[in-house]
Amino acid sequence: MKLKSLLSSSEFIVFLGLLAVGAFFAVTSPVFLTKFNLLNILLQSSIQGIIAIGMTFVILTAGIDLSVGSVVALSGVIMALMLHGGVPVWAVILINLLFGVAIGLFHGFSITKIGMAPFIVTLATMAMARGLTMVFSDGKTIFDFPASFEFFGAGTIGPVSVAVVIFLLYAFVAEVVLRSTVLGRNIYAVGSNIKAAALSGIRTHWILYFVYVVSGISCAIAGLVLTGRLGAAMPTAAMGYELDAIAAVIIGGASLMGGKGTIIGTIIGVLLIGVINNGMNLLNVPPFWQSFLKGAVIFLAVMIDSLKNRPSEV
Amino acid sequence: MKPSPLLETRNLTKVFPGVVALDDVSLTLSSGEVLGLVGENGAGKSTLMKLIGGVYAPTRGRILLSGEEVHFKNPKDALDAGISIVYQELNLIPHLSVAENIFINRLPRRGSFVDWSRLYRMAREILESSGMHGIDPRAIVADLPIGVKQSVEIAKALSYDARVLLLDEPTSSLTGPEIENLFRVIRRLQQQDIGIVYVSHHLDEIFEITDRIHVLRDGKTVAVMPTEGATEEELVAKMVGRDIQNIYYKGDHQPGEVVLEARGLSDGFLKDVDFKLRRSEVVGIYGLLGSGRTELLKAMVGARPVQAGELELRGRTVRLRHPQDAVRQGMVYSSEDRKGENLFFGSPIWKNITYLAIQIGHFVRMGFTRVHEERSAAESFARKLNVKAPSVDVDVYHLSGGNQQKVCLAKALITDPEVILLDEPTRGIDVGAKLEIYRLIADLADQGKAVVFVSSELPEIVGCADRVYTMSEGRVTAELVGDAINEENVLKYCLQVGTTGEAAS
Repeated sequence: MKLKSLLSSSEFIVFLGLLAVGAFFAVTSPVFLTKFNLLNILLQSSIQGIIAIGMTFVILTAGIDLSVGSVVALSGVIMALMLHGGVPVWAVILINLLFGVAIGLFHGFSITKIGMAPFIVTLATMAMARGLTMVFSDGKTIFDFPASFEFFGAGTIGPVSVAVVIFLLYAFVAEVVLRSTVLGRNIYAVGSNIKAAALSGIRTHWILYFVYVVSGISCAIAGLVLTGRLGAAMPTAAMGYELDAIAAVIIGGASLMGGKGTIIGTIIGVLLIGVINNGMNLLNVPPFWQSFLKGAVIFLAVMIDSLKNRPSEV
Repeated sequence: MKPSPLLETRNLTKVFPGVVALDDVSLTLSSGEVLGLVGENGAGKSTLMKLIGGVYAPTRGRILLSGEEVHFKNPKDALDAGISIVYQELNLIPHLSVAENIFINRLPRRGSFVDWSRLYRMAREILESSGMHGIDPRAIVADLPIGVKQSVEIAKALSYDARVLLLDEPTSSLTGPEIENLFRVIRRLQQQDIGIVYVSHHLDEIFEITDRIHVLRDGKTVAVMPTEGATEEELVAKMVGRDIQNIYYKGDHQPGEVVLEARGLSDGFLKDVDFKLRRSEVVGIYGLLGSGRTELLKAMVGARPVQAGELELRGRTVRLRHPQDAVRQGMVYSSEDRKGENLFFGSPIWKNITYLAIQIGHFVRMGFTRVHEERSAAESFARKLNVKAPSVDVDVYHLSGGNQQKVCLAKALITDPEVILLDEPTRGIDVGAKLEIYRLIADLADQGKAVVFVSSELPEIVGCADRVYTMSEGRVTAELVGDAINEENVLKYCLQVGTTGEAAS
């Protein structure tokens, strides 16, 4: 019974898809299966993964956060300017995390107290944050940070990148929260039936604040890792990341209607996108075709899941 | 020779993979007759309706219309033969007019344009011939009250020149006056020799409107009787398959001291409501839909902001801003709207049962749920309340209404509350489950709990409550105790908009 439900879960099916795509690239490219390349995929996926974890919390409540890419970029520029202004690294990181919290509180407030739709609020933030990124950076890339700062993106612990460690630790904490705590249970409840949740004694507004704050913090962490890794804060960084993050969460078996999804699924979704990007580069697929193929894979993955749960028309 | 009945089924049987849904059922319906079709959920009522309506084909058996055998391949065949079904859920298109809805797939045309004047004339004829003079064919359906929508649905069914009309739970969302209106329409149709099959859980309606009653249990006919002379006890006994001494049950308790008291409670809708609830007491609240019963309960548990008035719990003034505050104080509210406001479809039974409890720290350590303990507690509560399911891991979505309701009750009771506010706990569930819930409510009061029981059904309020408040338009219109609790009184006060606090005994 347990095994059967595992085998028929959305996560398992996507995992099979990941293995299949991996097998394809392993056969077609001699480089794909090397340790260096696999670690590289993990590294490439870590930033997407951190963002997608935050996105999972939001989507579980039937919400959406379109602002993540812009907020990541804004976080990078703010940190870069603070570092150049002589603020110590620990303070920069702390302020950056508080910035992520503030973004989340703003979204939570707009959605719960004002009653705006998450799509609209975060669409507005997406444009505002990107605009501020340009204003603060004057449209220019900012370089030259202390090594202790770049450690979070470019450093390694043994053979493993710090970025990967941050990603996996973050994923572990998120998984435990969602799986084993009352808070996690309440997040699913709010996404499944918000009226029933409130009458079941769940403080639904707090939950909504919480998930958007998690998404904001995720962006701040991703901003830290990305800026460290590139050694630069670019105003055009993380363009379109929101769509990859949403795609990863949905591929991982979550529902945009809320109440359904897991961190494990999201990670598999992120890795699937990461493997496809990496494999297509190895095979020298032209960039324009890469975009098309990635879209096609996302479509297929979600299609398989939808076919399983297809509602009848009447 | 006797003339053939209008509709007859002979030995009708329908087998689905693994279950016999309908087993050898023979039924007759004469012109101008109203036949009540009753039975618990799963007794085979819907299957029988769908066979007659051409939705399913019978596995065995025959259907005869005026003595002629008919074979329906689909619902359209049945419609063409003069059999129309009105389903419990309304199938109207909200932003179209009454006339368009009635003739939705047969709009009269002039060239390629709709012939509006003819459409409205045809609709008016249908409406008037069935006694629905007050309905404007041009009105937009979305703007109409639910009772009128129901009438439009019936008019639509009749517009196919129906000779047989099947009504499936037609009153499930109607209020008292709307039900009266529906009955007027039915009587009018009777005079036009239309045969009507009336399916309902509401036995009082069955007794009022039908001529004969056909009882199904487990897919079989267990009784066919004339309505006149039948008793409610007899009918229920046939439906559930055992003798019932008392359908309603007051238990054995003496109300104690006041545990909950509201004074002058007002919000946008409630007007200056005074309310008292004692230990070991079942208080019934009766009122029509929109009378303020649900609003009152929600206001008391903090699920609705209150503008004025105060609430006293165990003699201390409390301010509850959220249902969680109420649960912490030992007061729970269980919503009438199982799907919309109470249960989490897609989640297993055990999680549904414990949602309320984990909010106040039961089965929790340092914010982590103790799943093992939680699940087994839920399991034992489900067993105690006789939830019928293969295991508590089953998605609540798959349960019948009665079992879903028991899950709702388990969810409230597992927190071990002192004050239990039950909003229409018997709505839309079958008789067997109702009896269990009446019994449970009485038991709770026997154990010293204070229970509020909201209902739209007069007999169960009169039969189960120690004290009754009637409500209308956001006010309490009367408080009844002792012998004053009878159907006439309750109905009289719930229809009036009077001063508050009138007591009778």
